[in-house]
Amino acid sequence: MEIPYTVTARKDTGLFNAKVGIWLFLASEVMLFGGLFSAYVFLRIYADYPWPERALPIVPGLINTFVLIGSSVTVVFAWASLKMRQWRRFQIFMAITIGCAAVFMVLKTIEYKAKWGHQAVRMDDFTIIEGHAHYATILSDGKVEHFHTKKEAKKAGEKDAEVANKAAAAAKGKDEESGGSGKANLWKAGKPFKANALLFKPETIDFSMVRAHESWVNAMLEQTGKRNSRLITAEDIFLYGHIEDYSGTKSDPRSSKERAQKEAEIVKDYATAEEKRDHKFGENSLFIPAGTPLSYALLEKSRKVFVAGRAHNAETRTAILREKWKSVRRDLPDEKYWDQAPEARIDSATDLAEQVDEEGNCTAGSKVVSLVSTLSFRMDPPQPIIIKRSWIKRPVKGQDGRAELRDDTSLNAGDGEGGSTGLLESPLALSVDAIDFRWMAQKAEEAGNVPMEVIEQSWIFSKANKNGSTYKKIWKVHKKRIAELEQRLIDKYGKDEEGKPRRVATETDRYRVTWQDFMHYARAEHDRLMPGDSGFDDLRPKFWNGFAGPNHKNEEIHKLHAFPELEVPHHKVSLQSMFTPKWNTYYAIYFTLTGLHGLHVVGGALVLGYYLFFSKGLYRSDPEWLANRVEIGGLFWHFVDLVWIFLFPILYLM
Amino acid sequence: MADTPEEIKKAQKKYLLIGLILFVFTVVTVAVATVPWLDFGEHGFDAQDATIGLIIATIKAGLVGAIFMHLSHEKKTIYVLIVIGILMGISLMGLTGWAFEDPIEYGNSVEGDGFLNPEVKAEQH
Repeated sequence: MEIPYTVTARKDTGLFNAKVGIWLFLASEVMLFGGLFSAYVFLRIYADYPWPERALPIVPGLINTFVLIGSSVTVVFAWASLKMRQWRRFQIFMAITIGCAAVFMVLKTIEYKAKWGHQAVRMDDFTIIEGHAHYATILSDGKVEHFHTKKEAKKAGEKDAEVANKAAAAAKGKDEESGGSGKANLWKAGKPFKANALLFKPETIDFSMVRAHESWVNAMLEQTGKRNSRLITAEDIFLYGHIEDYSGTKSDPRSSKERAQKEAEIVKDYATAEEKRDHKFGENSLFIPAGTPLSYALLEKSRKVFVAGRAHNAETRTAILREKWKSVRRDLPDEKYWDQAPEARIDSATDLAEQVDEEGNCTAGSKVVSLVSTLSFRMDPPQPIIIKRSWIKRPVKGQDGRAELRDDTSLNAGDGEGGSTGLLESPLALSVDAIDFRWMAQKAEEAGNVPMEVIEQSWIFSKANKNGSTYKKIWKVHKKRIAELEQRLIDKYGKDEEGKPRRVATETDRYRVTWQDFMHYARAEHDRLMPGDSGFDDLRPKFWNGFAGPNHKNEEIHKLHAFPELEVPHHKVSLQSMFTPKWNTYYAIYFTLTGLHGLHVVGGALVLGYYLFFSKGLYRSDPEWLANRVEIGGLFWHFVDLVWIFLFPILYLM
Repeated sequence: MADTPEEIKKAQKKYLLIGLILFVFTVVTVAVATVPWLDFGEHGFDAQDATIGLIIATIKAGLVGAIFMHLSHEKKTIYVLIVIGILMGISLMGLTGWAFEDPIEYGNSVEGDGFLNPEVKAEQH
């Protein structure tokens, strides 16, 4: 089939068709991005927290702007080369364009990676702490130790296991000599985990049959195994999924007493059975004896029984209700439905429960099965379980004695006897690269307090914080530097008629200690300089330092201990997150806008790549058609550039 | 529109120049945001900085549109499409304005069910 107007223009529009098409598409794109920019404005105006203005590293954004502008120029040159029938030149310019797209995406990836790996904490007093979470490992004596990197934590865990097992082997030898069983309790090194996880020592864990998450169940099993413990059912459990197993047939109903007898028989049979495992009885019913170890397969099997039982119960109720409504409509035909409704209710005592005649014989069994939806396992002996922060359903408080996960798993610390709350001391440990008091200051002002006073009474400077003195020292230098800055602004811009300075330090200057500040103050301390001393300002990192943010692996930072350590007690943390959309609406809109833009870059590069690598044939047969195609692809590419021209200042500079 | 090879050859110089101007404007935007003595308005980021940043961005976008996307000499059909698109885009931005006149007044009663105007509520009782 001949496609019309690929090269020649249509008379009514004066354009070849694809051009109208791409512009229609671009018009819709304008609306798409317009809506998202509108969302940005909305979120920023109505933010109830200090908006993180100028929070992103400028350099990657700046380079990306140059890259995209450059690629816009080369794509026009590629098109122009085709128009002049210079194939080789077209190839070169197109290749540069696609190379630019690749560079853009690489920089974007670096930027994203820095965000996803960067820990943020909001404390209950609205102090915001940013940094790099440490790694932790549980040692054989039950203690938790923190390390800067995963590698260090892993090594320490392995070394500890080695030492512990050597001791165990020695004990084993002694035991055998004295005629003991000689069973050694070998300790396996646990996986290192991020020090923002929660440690909980449960006595029992309840799993939801329906919602339990396979990988979480397996992770808990693995941890239990590594700590020489096990998860087993505490009591015999009977699960019924079929009504006949539960209450017999119509002609031969089974009372609850008979059912109890039958269950006792099954338990007795099991006691003498050779193979100790759960077993099926009846149509779709399951017996899980006490002491059965946890496995996801067991939960799955139980789920099938539960689902079958639930379906039966629902069907039964619906059928009874349908009959009831039929009779009500017959008896009260003139009433409105809301007057009929009270008569059409299910009375569980007469409609569902088992019926017994005057002599005590069961005349009809229960019409519905009793449902069990969670399986409870005992942890024997109780050992700490590492709960990842993303698993937790709601903040875990010590006094509750339990931790609930998002898949409805519940870790319980028993009945509170012995005072165990289950929650182990699991502080969030990190190397701090920024402290932000802006939100705290905002809250203080709202309450009519003096921000500075509230800030200086915060937890981070208190004696409760074992690193408190370090932060006090940094804060002292910071305050002095800001005072110097204020003085310099007055010197330069003067005061107005009312005697107020024309320019003052911003909230960000005052209340946010950035990673540049940390580095600056650490250098100054090393050189024994204080704010106001000559040479102090020269030590400040330049804006191109730290490409995509603070670099914790930087040797200088390491040597100067520029990023101090901090352990935030679990109960002081009100929100913790990486710099992801969860952290705040700024990062939500940042990832939406840049992510969508990034997808446009990838899509555009694919189309341009097709022109570069698969269009030689078309060039030979109809070069003008290919030139038009490249023009269309180029128009899209320019649009992608155009969106970035707005994104860059809005997200990086404002 | 530059269509013949000779015209295109001439236009290439223009494209290069525009590219350079865009580079320069980018540097200016960053300088305005980072260099202290180029900081307009108050110290730090403020409305003036935002205005300047957005004006520069708009000029840059205009140049890309007019020259690279050939909008300086296009057919009428395309102008119609763009104008419709931009108008729709602006009205989407305008949607934010609705938030300023929220017809639902919440949080103005102690009981917390205050989306009803207190006066209306009084009349009802």
